[in-house]
Amino acid sequence: MAGVSMEGDENPVAINVTPLVDIIFCLCVFFMISFKFKQLEGKFDSWLPKGKGVTGGVSADIVLDEVRVAMYWDENAQRTVRQLKNRRVDDDEELAQLIKEAHADWVAMNRPDTPVTIDAEARVPWADVIAVMNLCKKNGIDSIEFALGAPPPQ
Amino acid sequence: MARRKAPTVKEDVQCNLIPMVDIMFLLLLFFMLGADMSQREQADLVLPTASEIKEDKPDKSPDPATTVNIQHRQDSSTFSCPINAQGGYCRADDHWAVVIRGREVPITALKDQLKAEADENLETDVDPAAGVRLSARKVIIRADRAAPYGMVNKVIETCSLSGIYKVEVGAAVPAPK
Repeated sequence: MAGVSMEGDENPVAINVTPLVDIIFCLCVFFMISFKFKQLEGKFDSWLPKGKGVTGGVSADIVLDEVRVAMYWDENAQRTVRQLKNRRVDDDEELAQLIKEAHADWVAMNRPDTPVTIDAEARVPWADVIAVMNLCKKNGIDSIEFALGAPPPQ
Repeated sequence: MARRKAPTVKEDVQCNLIPMVDIMFLLLLFFMLGADMSQREQADLVLPTASEIKEDKPDKSPDPATTVNIQHRQDSSTFSCPINAQGGYCRADDHWAVVIRGREVPITALKDQLKAEADENLETDVDPAAGVRLSARKVIIRADRAAPYGMVNKVIETCSLSGIYKVEVGAAVPAPK
């Protein structure tokens, strides 16, 4: 009787895997193209002070006791100018040292919670503000505040 | 003399595809698991780097969070910014957008949105310092490294006006040297 010869064929059921390979190739290419190595991210806690303006009002007690880092944007040089106690500081190490010393003065006066206030102009790039925050954290200073303008009248 | 006919050898060349399929399955699995499709909240932007940040861990905090992204507008047929394209610091406020869950929120509408989200998760007790019930909702600010501080300032101020005090700022872990 004529029929399919199974001579020498161990597996009588043959599965055609070519379409499967095609589909897996397509999926692989899709995922390879859309794949992106994710940058490791983290966060700085920057919780807002509850009693100072969180309800929209201006702080009643103006804190003069602070370490204030002023930051301005130099349009011509396209860079940020940083000042601490009227002294211009360009170097990161120097700024870190000055912040540390200024904060240590408050710690010596039994005021370890005295914050470092970052008073940056609106045009200052965010990366430069984060750099100052990073220097503070490096020195073990967790109390960092952002100087904000008064909210518009309701 | 009759020529002897050479025996025909029937070669049956077959390519064994099974190892290839195995490897491709593995590759597929790797790329599928590596593809980060779930995090639509996080816009694709260049974060500033900071060595002292707390690395992101799967958040076990029960507080709900809203991620506020501040990014430069993408160049299109109707909009282009040569300063940003050249990697400079674009200082035009209207070139920067606040994006929440993939949707741009005008700065004027940000307060309404954050207030609505803040009110969904009010703390149970009145805060003695603030005199009101503050929100338990966390806001994570992810701003591009070149974003003007004024934009971030506006978002922080809006959080403050919405009764949100749990603010975190995102930064990237520097690449190992």
